[in-house]
Amino acid sequence: MLEVSGLTTKYGAISALRDASLTVGEGEVVGLIGPNGAGKTTLLGSIAGLLPIDTGTITFDGKNVTSTAPEKILRAGLALVPEHRRIFADMTVEENLKIGGITTKAAERNELLEEMADLFPVLRDKWDTAAGYMSGGEAQQLAIARALMSKPKLIMMDEPSLGLAPILVDLVFELIDTLRSQGRTILVVEQNATRMLNAADRAYVLRSGEVVATGTGSELLERSDLFDTFVGG
Amino acid sequence: MFPNSKRDIAFPFLGSIVLFVVLFGGGLIYQTILGNGSAERLVTTMLVDAIIVIGIQIYIGNTGILSFGHIGFGAIAGYVFAVYAISPEEKLKRIPAAPFGLTETQVSPWLAIAIAVAVTLVFAVIVGIGLARSGAQSGSVAATVITLALLFVTHEVAKSWPELTGGNRGGISFGIGESLSGRWPILVVLFGSLVVARLYGQSRSGRLAIAAREDNLAARAMGVNPLVQQMVALLLSVAIVAIGSSLRVWQIGSILPDRFFFDYAMLTLVMLIVGGRNSVTGAVLGVAVMTAARELARRLGQNGFEVFGIGLDEPPLDWIFRENLNSVVLGVAMVAFMIWRPTGILEDWEFDQWLYRKIGRGGETKPERLSELETIPDATFTASDISVSFGGFQALSNAGITAQSGEVVGIIGPNGAGKTTFVNVITGMVEPTDGQFSIDGQALSGKASYELSRSGLVRTFQNLRLFGALTVRENIETAGLVAREHRSDRAVRDVDALMTEAGLWEHRDRRARELDYGNSRRLELARAAAMAPSFMLLDEPTSGMSDSESITMIEQVRHMAATVGAGVIVIDHDLGFITGISDRIYVFDQGKVIAEGTPAEVQANPHVQAAYLGSAAIT
Amino acid sequence: MTELLQNLIDGLGRGSIYALLALGVAVVFGIMHLLNFAHGELITIPGYLTYWAFQNNWSWWTVVPLIIVSAVLTSLLIERIAFSRVRGAKDFTLLLTSFGVHFIVAAGFLLYVGAAVKPYPRPDWFADTVSAGSLNVEVFDLVVIGVTIVVLAGTTWLLQRTMFGLALRAAASDFDTARLMGVKSDSVIRGAFALSGFLAGIAGVFWIMREGQMTPTAGIPPMLQGVLAALIGGLGSLRGAVLGGLVLGLAEVLLRSWLPVGIQNLTTGFVFVMIALLFIFRPGGLLSVPQVERV
Repeated sequence: MLEVSGLTTKYGAISALRDASLTVGEGEVVGLIGPNGAGKTTLLGSIAGLLPIDTGTITFDGKNVTSTAPEKILRAGLALVPEHRRIFADMTVEENLKIGGITTKAAERNELLEEMADLFPVLRDKWDTAAGYMSGGEAQQLAIARALMSKPKLIMMDEPSLGLAPILVDLVFELIDTLRSQGRTILVVEQNATRMLNAADRAYVLRSGEVVATGTGSELLERSDLFDTFVGG
Repeated sequence: MFPNSKRDIAFPFLGSIVLFVVLFGGGLIYQTILGNGSAERLVTTMLVDAIIVIGIQIYIGNTGILSFGHIGFGAIAGYVFAVYAISPEEKLKRIPAAPFGLTETQVSPWLAIAIAVAVTLVFAVIVGIGLARSGAQSGSVAATVITLALLFVTHEVAKSWPELTGGNRGGISFGIGESLSGRWPILVVLFGSLVVARLYGQSRSGRLAIAAREDNLAARAMGVNPLVQQMVALLLSVAIVAIGSSLRVWQIGSILPDRFFFDYAMLTLVMLIVGGRNSVTGAVLGVAVMTAARELARRLGQNGFEVFGIGLDEPPLDWIFRENLNSVVLGVAMVAFMIWRPTGILEDWEFDQWLYRKIGRGGETKPERLSELETIPDATFTASDISVSFGGFQALSNAGITAQSGEVVGIIGPNGAGKTTFVNVITGMVEPTDGQFSIDGQALSGKASYELSRSGLVRTFQNLRLFGALTVRENIETAGLVAREHRSDRAVRDVDALMTEAGLWEHRDRRARELDYGNSRRLELARAAAMAPSFMLLDEPTSGMSDSESITMIEQVRHMAATVGAGVIVIDHDLGFITGISDRIYVFDQGKVIAEGTPAEVQANPHVQAAYLGSAAIT
Repeated sequence: MTELLQNLIDGLGRGSIYALLALGVAVVFGIMHLLNFAHGELITIPGYLTYWAFQNNWSWWTVVPLIIVSAVLTSLLIERIAFSRVRGAKDFTLLLTSFGVHFIVAAGFLLYVGAAVKPYPRPDWFADTVSAGSLNVEVFDLVVIGVTIVVLAGTTWLLQRTMFGLALRAAASDFDTARLMGVKSDSVIRGAFALSGFLAGIAGVFWIMREGQMTPTAGIPPMLQGVLAALIGGLGSLRGAVLGGLVLGLAEVLLRSWLPVGIQNLTTGFVFVMIALLFIFRPGGLLSVPQVERV
């Protein structure tokens, strides 16, 4: 469904990604793990059209979407839940969700709003609150719900558990499970490697901008050398 | 005052002579060829414009703050000059009811200029304080509006205070006997302005102002207080504009509110921007180019002007070639340059510096390697019980570290562990909810970032913040300038030697923005070392580096720190790098310090493994 | 007391026009960080069209829509020709681009219409007053205040209740994230310029009526008042812009009535001194938007 090949992205002189490739199939949950600074966020940003790409191609649903504007990529069916959630703090929960559904028709948008309120009961409770007043866990749910509002074929999440208390991290992974059971396709960047590998069908390990390992979740869990990637060696 | 007397005094002086000769000589040739009075007037006008544009360049060029207000200052100076210089008989005719008993006063034109400068500077100080309060820095929108307001208010006052200014219609004309005859005062002032502008740009204050223009945050982290340097630049620049404006009034022999308003502000700005606002050479070039372009446009727009027998004021071209075409040319030049070349023709190319690199430098010898300090001055950095909460979110709770001079202390932790917040606290960017930090018992909490670095805690930045327009050497020199003033009790090492240590000798004359990534990182390190810090705080020094580059970085950081006798606090995501470089490591997770010890101890700690890989790894 | 009330109404009348101008400035600033020094051209271009229309015997009933429509079109046109080419550029570049646009338009009028003042008739009710007891209120002020209330209410509705308004607010708060949600950058920027032009058009109707004449540089005062009011309120805040406009209008009128007779003509100067004081004590403006420094 999504195919990234040979992607290189630079920030000025810094090479954030070097020749990175990955694929995501329909209905799969794919994890992207690696230490801080490995280029995971850059990879998602490049796919979503936020960052200029130096070389490489991105194909989605058979269409070439390399270096396409973010608003067009979203319309192609690829949604990104950005790092740090980036919810619109001055706008209410409902308004945030509506923006998420800006590409849908009004009637459909209203149905989706209902759907999100059912899926995330906490949002229903805070419906008319400014999103800036929500806790980290609530805001993360809002960010995910906001991305779902566009009815994406593939949803990418950038560090959904970042800065959350352990109990909320559980919640995020439960949520990923729920979305999987709905048959959605998901690409998740996570630092919490073990949990990600347990939750994912397949995963890629990124280090210094390069893909250094790939396999199913359980295969990668077996690999003791991966531990060194994170904690030294 | 000046880092290098040959480069920063002799050559700028020489360069000023050349610029002066070229500008004035070009004017003389033009007026000789045409040989009429209007050509002569045009050249005189250009020379006065040059003085004012050079004056404006000192402020806009060195601080990066766009100012419309300099022409407002010019208006103040022009009126003060006029009111003092006109004879009482003239004043009785023009402004018989002038306040402050000014009707009876008359002084010589030169003294009138001096008074004009003094009065204008008083206003400049007030405006300067306002600009500083507005948080002025390169590109500040609020600062620009303040200067625009000044331009507007001087114009309004000039129009609506006829007792003093003669008002909008009559204006003041005089009357000091006659208007300025002969050019020599203009020439003297023009040459003086060129020298002052160039010397300022190369001086300590100018260098610090430019550093802040290039990167305000990095300049503050290097101990620069940009607001002070901006004020210096403002006063110097306003003084020259005031003299130039007085000369303009003297030359024309009259003053009207509209002479110093939008049109003139636009003209001077376009001149500055077209040539290249960051260089005096650019300012002079812009004056010449725009004077020529406007004169051409004016002539083409005149009635009866023909080219190859085609009358330009007849159809089909009459819709372009009209009277006042020259003012459209200004606007078009401004917008076109902003769209296609916002930095102007010359960008920041400076003639005398180019000349210095070509012929002036002579054979430079690569300095000897620096020895590491034998005795390292004792110092202790302590941060204790630091807590920060944003809204309801506890980003840090009771986190603390200590570090000794000569020691390398690493801080690691997964994304979101609170490392960045911790760095932000001890660099003065975030106010902690609770807790203190200090060096040798001297409390640093609550200090501005430039005070922190002067106290010995010098940082680098994750995203590389170099002074892009400055050369490699000038980058390090800038830190050296601050160190000599504020860190003189420590070993302030030679700039060239530090540069060589960092492996940058071959790149010494390249602008920092042209460096590749590895060299940029090394430059940032050398620049921090040149501050003679007690502690260097390195924020993700290997981000974006490959593994092999990270490994060479270990040796460089350790050596550089030993050279200046600094302790190192380093935050990095790369555990290989951190364990390789650190003597001790603090591990952060969930806003707390969860482990502390030698690299081996930390690596063996199950809590650390859990924090990195997720809770499952504990079992 | 009566005098104070009279001044308040007078000040609110002026302030309403400033508020509309400032709101237009703030909308554009919010979306692309451009402080539009060419905002006054949204008044001069319709202003000269007004002159032309009266030369051709139009009436105010037809001129008013002409002013509003031409202001919107001018705003869109300037965006298309100039500002769309400097999107994302440094603030310095944005500021000078807009200043250059102002200058081109002003010089264009000088070139093709000439420096002479171009007069046109004010509406016949312009000087009418209504009295209540000892209070004499200008009808013009009441109309301005009334229309402004309606327009501000409409704008609030637009921003709060329509998808376009939501997109505009989202893009102003975080442009990249808004695009990730599917907000089209071209549409939202053009929408912002159209809204800015519409607000300037409404303000322009009153400004043009009040002035009764046009000159090539007539755009400077409304631009400056709009920009200053936005700054007084706090750059980036839409509510602040409206508040700033009202404060500026009231300050002008009240100061004029309080200053001794001899120096009343220096009111503008004193207003600026007050603004300077405001900035010294509250650098971010009345409703300052906190600026986060990014490392």
